[in-house]
Amino acid sequence: MEQDILSLTTPIKVDEIKALNPGDQILLSGQIFTGRDVALPKLVQLANQGELVDMGIELTGGVIFHTAVSRAGTGPTSSNKQDIENSIVQLSKHGIRIHLGKGTLSNETILNMSNYDAAFAIIPPVTALLKKKIIKQNILLFPEAGVEAFHVLEIKSVPAIIAAVNGDSIFGRERI
Amino acid sequence: MNLKGVKEKIVEAVVRASSIMTDDKKKIFQNIIEEEKSANAKWILEQMLENAYIAEEQRSPMCDDTGVPHLLLEIGKGKSLTCDLLSLIEDAVRIGLKKLPGRPMAVLGDDIQRIEQSCGLDELSEAVVPAPIIIKRVEEPILRLHILMQGGGPEIRGLTKRVFHHHDIKTVEDEIVQWSIEAVRYLGCSPCTLAIGIGRSHLESTALMTEAQIYGRHGVQTPLEKSITQRVNSCNVGPIGIGQGVSVLGTFIRIGPQRASGVRIVSLRPCCYMEPRLASVDIF
Repeated sequence: MEQDILSLTTPIKVDEIKALNPGDQILLSGQIFTGRDVALPKLVQLANQGELVDMGIELTGGVIFHTAVSRAGTGPTSSNKQDIENSIVQLSKHGIRIHLGKGTLSNETILNMSNYDAAFAIIPPVTALLKKKIIKQNILLFPEAGVEAFHVLEIKSVPAIIAAVNGDSIFGRERI
Repeated sequence: MNLKGVKEKIVEAVVRASSIMTDDKKKIFQNIIEEEKSANAKWILEQMLENAYIAEEQRSPMCDDTGVPHLLLEIGKGKSLTCDLLSLIEDAVRIGLKKLPGRPMAVLGDDIQRIEQSCGLDELSEAVVPAPIIIKRVEEPILRLHILMQGGGPEIRGLTKRVFHHHDIKTVEDEIVQWSIEAVRYLGCSPCTLAIGIGRSHLESTALMTEAQIYGRHGVQTPLEKSITQRVNSCNVGPIGIGQGVSVLGTFIRIGPQRASGVRIVSLRPCCYMEPRLASVDIF
């Protein structure tokens, strides 16, 4: 059975998150951030210290794609790595609406994230396909981290599936 | 011996391993897409196959985690390996990574700095050095290099561990199935191919698991391999963990000599959907 595909463009509103269900197919467009093991803990620290505003970085309504950015392309890294998963609830508090990555998250993360109207979407590692959908890329913070720096990407119709939202998920299992 | 020609073949093999999905894998994808009932699973599998076709056409990486090169060299009767040839192989792999291009992810610094990743990354794709080479004697009169590009996701979920077998293969199978379900569930890159080595030590079992990725074929499955695939699939992890559809495409097992003991050492790698990313070159 075919499913309707929802198009979402950043900045994403709370109402748009509330209307989502686990298993929804989405196409994401607009400006999104990237970060992974090195950048995300540092980003959380800057956000908690209130320093991002002075840097002209607004997280509210944003999407963070858990990926490196390199000449090899982009693709999701495992979101359940500690440095990344630990950032999800923290960055949701600061207004990130969609965390985009891969792998199962813990029930605790799924529930706490939903308290801040944030969702987790998963994307298959399809680097060659994504190359056609990334229009621009720039480093915003932590250039010393190389491919793991905090980037902003301009994207068009990147496919993903909502894995966890509003306290519910497609996983339905405890992590051992 | 045309050394220039050998070098070019190895360079091309690095690019091929990273950008071309094997024909048997593509055929499996076509079959499961046709049979798939879940709309979400079908959508994901179609994207994976489209990704494979685009990567092949553009000769670009299938995944941005282009992986760490793992090399296995088969040496047959009458063939020899010299230090110069090893240098040539290493140099060709470097050029291949540059040409691909591989993700620049070599970690800089001394021992502690590399562990802490506190000195950043090398900007060059070719700075990623291969893992220690495995050399294997074979009967065939060949000198053949196999190049495997090993991504990081499966390394997080892979493991090498002992099993007390109680003199029953079922005990070993049950453990493998249990580990595999857990590994595939959290991987995020399914449908997987499970690569398994069973030997006497952690090193030997990991080498056997590496061989399993080289010699395994999706169309040729033993009863044990089929049983593991079927049992892990019954847990409905699905493509990228969506809870519906196929989770495992096949299982490749290599069983080596065993220790006179109640223990077996098992190495498991849940290879992601595009793996094994493998290319082979006949050097001489």
